[in-house]
Amino acid sequence: MTTLEWARISNDAFNVALFSYLAAMVGYFAFLAFGRDRIWKIARAVAFAGLAANLVSIAARGLAAHRVPWGNMYEYSCLLALLVVAGYLVIVEGVYKQRALGGFALMFSVLTMAVAVSFLYVGPGPLVPALNSYWIKIHVQAAIWGSSLFALGGIVTILYLFQDRRERVRIDVLRAEQPAPIMGGSIDMHAPPDLVGDASDEPGTSLERTGVLPPAATLDLIAYRIIAFAFPIWTFAVIAGAIWAQEAWGRYWGWDPKETWSFITWTIFAGYLHARATSGWRGRKSAVIALVGFVALLITYYAVNLWIVGLHSYAK
Amino acid sequence: MSSSSRSRLSVQQSVAMVWRTLRSMRTALILLLLLAAASVVGSLIPQVPNSPERAAQFLDTHPLLGDLYLRAGLFDVFGSWWFTLITVLLFVSLIACLIPRTRATWRALRARPIQAREIDAFRHYGERETALTPDEAIEVARRTLRRRRFRVARDPERAALAAEKGALRETGSLLFHWAFILILVGVVYGKGTGFSGFALVVEGDTWIDAQANYDGQIRTGRFFDGEFTGVGLHLNEFESAFRETGQPMDFVSRVELLDPSGTPIRSQDIRVNHPAKIEGITIYQSSFGWAPVIRVADGGRVIFDDAVPFSRQEAPEGVPQLAMPWRGVVKLPSLRPQVAIDLELWPDSRAFLEQLRTGTPVAMLTSFDPVMRYTVYEGRLTDPSPVSLDVRLMDKTASGIVGAGTRADLATGKLLEDGATPVGPSVTFTDLKQYSVFQVAKDRGVPIVLVAAILILLGLLPALYSSRRKVWVRAVPSEGGARLQVGGFALQRKVQFEEEFDRLVDALAQAPGHGPADAEREKVRTR
Ligand code: HEM
Repeated sequence: MTTLEWARISNDAFNVALFSYLAAMVGYFAFLAFGRDRIWKIARAVAFAGLAANLVSIAARGLAAHRVPWGNMYEYSCLLALLVVAGYLVIVEGVYKQRALGGFALMFSVLTMAVAVSFLYVGPGPLVPALNSYWIKIHVQAAIWGSSLFALGGIVTILYLFQDRRERVRIDVLRAEQPAPIMGGSIDMHAPPDLVGDASDEPGTSLERTGVLPPAATLDLIAYRIIAFAFPIWTFAVIAGAIWAQEAWGRYWGWDPKETWSFITWTIFAGYLHARATSGWRGRKSAVIALVGFVALLITYYAVNLWIVGLHSYAK
Repeated sequence: MSSSSRSRLSVQQSVAMVWRTLRSMRTALILLLLLAAASVVGSLIPQVPNSPERAAQFLDTHPLLGDLYLRAGLFDVFGSWWFTLITVLLFVSLIACLIPRTRATWRALRARPIQAREIDAFRHYGERETALTPDEAIEVARRTLRRRRFRVARDPERAALAAEKGALRETGSLLFHWAFILILVGVVYGKGTGFSGFALVVEGDTWIDAQANYDGQIRTGRFFDGEFTGVGLHLNEFESAFRETGQPMDFVSRVELLDPSGTPIRSQDIRVNHPAKIEGITIYQSSFGWAPVIRVADGGRVIFDDAVPFSRQEAPEGVPQLAMPWRGVVKLPSLRPQVAIDLELWPDSRAFLEQLRTGTPVAMLTSFDPVMRYTVYEGRLTDPSPVSLDVRLMDKTASGIVGAGTRADLATGKLLEDGATPVGPSVTFTDLKQYSVFQVAKDRGVPIVLVAAILILLGLLPALYSSRRKVWVRAVPSEGGARLQVGGFALQRKVQFEEEFDRLVDALAQAPGHGPADAEREKVRTR
């Protein structure tokens, strides 16, 4: 097939993926609202279909451009969307058996793809010489994996903060009704509060479920696990980027805006990991740090590439 | 208490307090977040080391704010005293934190796991009946635990043991925290003893690594020994390739590397991402440009004959960079009055004609019948720089166009036929060459930093993912042989440990050659 045909297949599959994600998102929110298993099964199937289309789109793009399909912002966004949905399905639904968060993860991917196709689209073409390196391929791949996991962690963190607030309100209401002590139990100094069944001694979960979301303690734990998974990947991405910079520019670190922002993101998430091991910073405070990290990630991803000038800006 | 003893105490106390504060996790956390905040500032304000032009522009457009920024070091955040202070405090805090932790871990690693008195008081507890004697049962359990990488200590007094697993978590954490200090060492050593600068080489020329041969400033480290290698680089040829859109596809400098005595060592192609390494220095492709060869003769005497590196003119909004002509200057200070020729090179004359005719800028991807527009000035040369020209004390005397291989009369601005005699000095555009700019750097810290980075990754994995578990086993005589009592708890991933613990208890009771434990008599409880 010719370059043009592959490019068309890629764009068609992109649209299929985008609309499948959109439909799946609606489905997941309907599942939240009505709680029917049937709705969830359909939404999940549609999400998988979107995932397949997304993958086809990325592969066809690579075939059209005769190179790895991660060479510009549009392509990064396609991969990011793919990995956030895949990460949600594998980690949140697969490992942690939580089905209520799908709509939010899909919403992130839908927005990412919509922005990509509206503002970042460029046709498939070869890479500029500076991007034509072994390390850059590794670096970008790791950065996108890290970003998508951080993003997923950020989404769960937002939901945690929301749910935690609701549970606090509930506690206050219950306190007002019956002045029995509800809070109690100590948190293990060495580890984050653990999953559902085990979290009985954590505040908040001694109550029955508040709303449709999982308990705050569960969300907190899932967010932590995902971020702890992403952190070494991001660390590796920064290191691979430094190795590339050393080869391309003769210095492994130069405080170029992209480097600076990936460092900022990394430092904030390192702060998050520390905060979870610091007494008085667990829970809401560390979640806020993760949220700031999420914002820093978005700035690293969008703002630096598009608005702040630097050596990296030809990566557009 | 008298006031003097109070103040003496408070000096000691405050030292202790500072130390305690530095050691605390909260301080490290706040310093980390401060470092992030400082970096944000550094990415928003143009930084002199990265983009001096934008910083200067900012100073021009915001004089008051700019002055404030200048005083606070905000134009060089990453080199400012307060950024250094945060970094130093973070590292002091890190060391203050690491030393006691390392000592404690070292002791804990060598200490034997401690025996427990009441096994059934632990969070997880299980019992199994076995047909072995208590001592045999404990021996079987010990081997099973060893196989599962537990550290095991046998109770000398009873048929009991204590076991632990997951020391790697703490060890990994220590490893990567120490590796940060190694990074600092590598950075300070490498930058301190190294240098970096730019070398401009025209096709056909040989460049020697020596202080005087660098183009512009050399950044040397504080402890740089001042010894340049003396190796040579002969640029045979430079090639660049662009796509129709003007996007660069490839540029390559074909060079010959020479040892300090001038003997060729090897030929190499230097490209972006493919530097040359020789004698501890690394040579990177940085940029490139056109260097017309210009000869100026006065009467029968040649007064200038050299390749002149031209610089690319900044493109205005909306004009492709490749459509811009290149600019260069030839200065002839020996003539009276002194003469300067201001030159504008159009590597592709088709683009030049097209722009003259239609006014639309056209990208010049290769050279094609190059032409130069020149303007001659006479008077006093005041600006010593080879690339810029100050004409305030000079008069414009002539101007014209000269093509490759042609000659012009500087007095009249007219082209000269072969053999014609000029009125004044004549200028000949003999050839068009290219030049290549290399970044030359020496950084001996790179391997150290690389090793530290690998150690960080290696340490990070167990620090984040391994989990610590503690298990105690006791065998008490029962009618069938021995009852195995197992207690345990997990410091991380407690939910997983529930199932893990059940499986472990099963495995411990499974003597080789015996069947699985009698299901009716087993008992597992989780609190
Ligand atoms: C330089 C950047 C630093 C980074 C990227 C970093 C990163 C980390 C990470 C990822 C953890 C693991 C958290 C966990 O096990 O849950 C950790 C733990 C820890 N860090 Fe750092 N750290 C840094 C600097 C520091 C400094 C300066 C200190 C000194 C005060 C410090 C003290 C600690 C301590 C005490 C722990 C152990 C927490 C625990 O095991 O409960 N770190 N650090």
